[in-house]
Amino acid sequence: MLAVFEKGERIRHIGHLDIQRSVQRGLRRSGLPVAYSQGFNPHILITFASALSTGACGKREIMDVTMAGDVEAEEFLEKMNRAMPPEMQLKEARAVDNKHPSLMGMVAAADYDLLIRDEAQGEKLAAALPEMMKKDQIMATRKTKTKLSECDIKPLIYSLYAEKKDGKTHLRAMMTLTERESCKPQMLLEALKAQAGIEAEVRMLVTREGLYGLNETGALAPLENM
Amino acid sequence: MDYREKFEMALEKVQKAPRYTGGEMNTTVKAWDETPLHFGFCFPDTYEVGMSHLGLKILYGLINRESWSLCERFFMPWTDMIELMQKEEIPLLSMESRRPLNEFDVIGFTLQYEMSYSNILAMMEMGGVPLEGTERGEKDPIVVAGGPCAFNPEPLAPFIDAFMIGDGEDVMTELNRVILRRKTEGWTREECLRELAKLEGVYVPSLYDVTYEEDGRIRAVTPNCPEAPATVKKRVVVDLNNTYYPEEIPVPYTEVIFDRIMLEIMRGCTRGCRFCQAGMLYRPVRERSLEKLTDLAEKLQEATGYEEISLSSLSSGDYTCLPELIRTLMRNMKEKRVSISLPSLRIDSVLKESLEETQQVRKTSLTFAPEAGTQRMRDVINKGVTEEDLLEKVRDAFSGGWNSVKLYFMDGLPTETEADLDGIADLARKVVGEYFAVPKDQRARGLRVTVSVSIFVPKPFTPFQWAPQDTIETVFAKTEHLKKVLNIKGVTFNWHEPYVSFMEACFARGDRRMGRVLQKAYEKGCILDGWNETFRFDKWMEAFKECGLDPAFYANREREKDEIFPWDHIDSGISKSFLWRENEKALRAETTRDCRKGCNGCGLQKWKGVCGYANAGSV
Ligand code: SF4
Repeated sequence: MLAVFEKGERIRHIGHLDIQRSVQRGLRRSGLPVAYSQGFNPHILITFASALSTGACGKREIMDVTMAGDVEAEEFLEKMNRAMPPEMQLKEARAVDNKHPSLMGMVAAADYDLLIRDEAQGEKLAAALPEMMKKDQIMATRKTKTKLSECDIKPLIYSLYAEKKDGKTHLRAMMTLTERESCKPQMLLEALKAQAGIEAEVRMLVTREGLYGLNETGALAPLENM
Repeated sequence: MDYREKFEMALEKVQKAPRYTGGEMNTTVKAWDETPLHFGFCFPDTYEVGMSHLGLKILYGLINRESWSLCERFFMPWTDMIELMQKEEIPLLSMESRRPLNEFDVIGFTLQYEMSYSNILAMMEMGGVPLEGTERGEKDPIVVAGGPCAFNPEPLAPFIDAFMIGDGEDVMTELNRVILRRKTEGWTREECLRELAKLEGVYVPSLYDVTYEEDGRIRAVTPNCPEAPATVKKRVVVDLNNTYYPEEIPVPYTEVIFDRIMLEIMRGCTRGCRFCQAGMLYRPVRERSLEKLTDLAEKLQEATGYEEISLSSLSSGDYTCLPELIRTLMRNMKEKRVSISLPSLRIDSVLKESLEETQQVRKTSLTFAPEAGTQRMRDVINKGVTEEDLLEKVRDAFSGGWNSVKLYFMDGLPTETEADLDGIADLARKVVGEYFAVPKDQRARGLRVTVSVSIFVPKPFTPFQWAPQDTIETVFAKTEHLKKVLNIKGVTFNWHEPYVSFMEACFARGDRRMGRVLQKAYEKGCILDGWNETFRFDKWMEAFKECGLDPAFYANREREKDEIFPWDHIDSGISKSFLWRENEKALRAETTRDCRKGCNGCGLQKWKGVCGYANAGSV
């Protein structure tokens, strides 16, 4: 069963492992027939398309649950939504067979909404955006657990624009997200800050609006429909 | 920016934000304006500790169940959050609707251990509630407290308006009803407090005057108004089967200390260990029925999705139909893949069979609490465990594939000599011997025996309430000796610094003047004293000095038989004469039988129909 769920704003600081555990407990509460792994310490067979970082909200996160019996998508949705807290409701579900390819391998990009908390900063960043995109290379710092490295994020940006909603600037970015490489919202922000000449801390609210894969024609398409 | 936005901002900066976010499964956010009474439940320690506590879950459900009251939770923030809150002027906010503490009608603290007292002051101050009862005005909340430490309420008397003594389930609702009338009938604070004092099990400290002898002992505690009874009787819920127990409990997102279903199978204990305060306070023993428990387990599992159920009580091994309960639970829960964690003392032949059958036991460490190293010392404390018992269980465990055993002891018990300390080492050595007696191919590899020795803290309402605690110097000397004799291969010795136990001893038997010490220490920056990294013994000692009080008076002084104790006006049901009798028997190393074998006349037998084992005339 492929399902789309939300990670609400209130619980955005909950880490991926805790989100996983919450979904598992939700499944156990739902009474739905879920499949367990074999072995001494059985766990529910479930995969998530992509771990969402601590601090970020998710509008359309995706999981794939292996069921132990036939379940209609509608029933799944209804029972799970009764079993999940308000901040983690499911939006869609679709029955897929067990041969469905690994979600993780299919993710190609993510659509982010970055709400800039301070509007003066937001305007500056929005103004600097066209300049930055004109450049051949956009250098940003990638942080891994062990090291910092410089890299060019331009090839990782599918699209990027700024818009204003309720008097606040939002940056909308479709950026590469694969198992091999990705551009994190923070990297984009750092690059844009440099362009705009902002040194102060910029507070933003990151929302991952959706996950995308590549369809037969090589175009981005919502992962949940693939 | 309003405080909620600032709070959101602080969440981006703190170490463990999930402990502040709320919104967990099975939490209740009731409509504020439509609910007349607002109760703020305060756990004076961190979220992870508080959310592991059964009492919180019981009262949370109980208050929210009533249409006219709502309950929201508050926890003690960690130091990094406190700093941000102070800098940004963010008040202490509830987990549910994020409202400041002082907007609630009642705020209730649970008193589980003495070293959480400074957190109570910190939470009130951060929540905008005046610390002392006398400073609170007509708009301020009524501050209440309950839990085991409420049995000696005196150190907190200046700060708490009313204490609930004993089981909380019934009195909680009665108390809320009275406080609701403060709102609806426009009672003054004083009128409300006097009304509260009329409730059985409620102690309102401001309605009592305390006088002292020259030397600091108490001369008298006397009520100063007609509503206040001379002694306050503890509340007892007699029938647990008909007492509220939640069928839905909050499920934290982040891992807490006890992240599982806790099924309270019984309350109270019949064994009568003389050092154990809980064993006295929670008398008499009351069991939940097998049917009730299996039903509760089912409902709780469905509501939480938890993977584990643990049986909770002071001595689960004594539950009448334990094997049957465990078998039933295992059977019912097998398909749901829920494991049952067992009271480790009962991994005996009765259960072996069903264990092997189900394989549901993870071979984690087994714990045993002989408490003392020699039979004489165990007789003094009336701990009915013999060496043979213990070794037999250990033998079973080792041949059953366990390799890790934890042994808990105390030092500083009354009448203790060096021989008793050496006895701890002897016992540890014999446990190691049991392991090596199992043939090599039949035992698990890598033996680990952990010996933990904690420091005895004499507590009110126990036979040792008259006894001195070892001085800090004595404890250090004993620890050095133990380190030497416990230098045994395969044995790890865990010891404790005496400072925290010393402070516990001061508060456990403290009087009202200890409240001044508490406030001083808090002003000096003492908070989160239950945590090593934040406990500041030097500040506490300064506070004593500045208040002109001697900590040794509370901790290290041997009391006379007839001394009036600060808690004598609290009636736990256990008579002082019984406790004295037990104290004298202890000094003679004479044991007292388990109540299940016959009533020992602890005093509770006078409350008709309360104790099921007290048949009239047997005393
Ligand atoms: S009344 Fe008797 S049986 Fe009951 S707890 Fe007291 S001593 Fe034990």
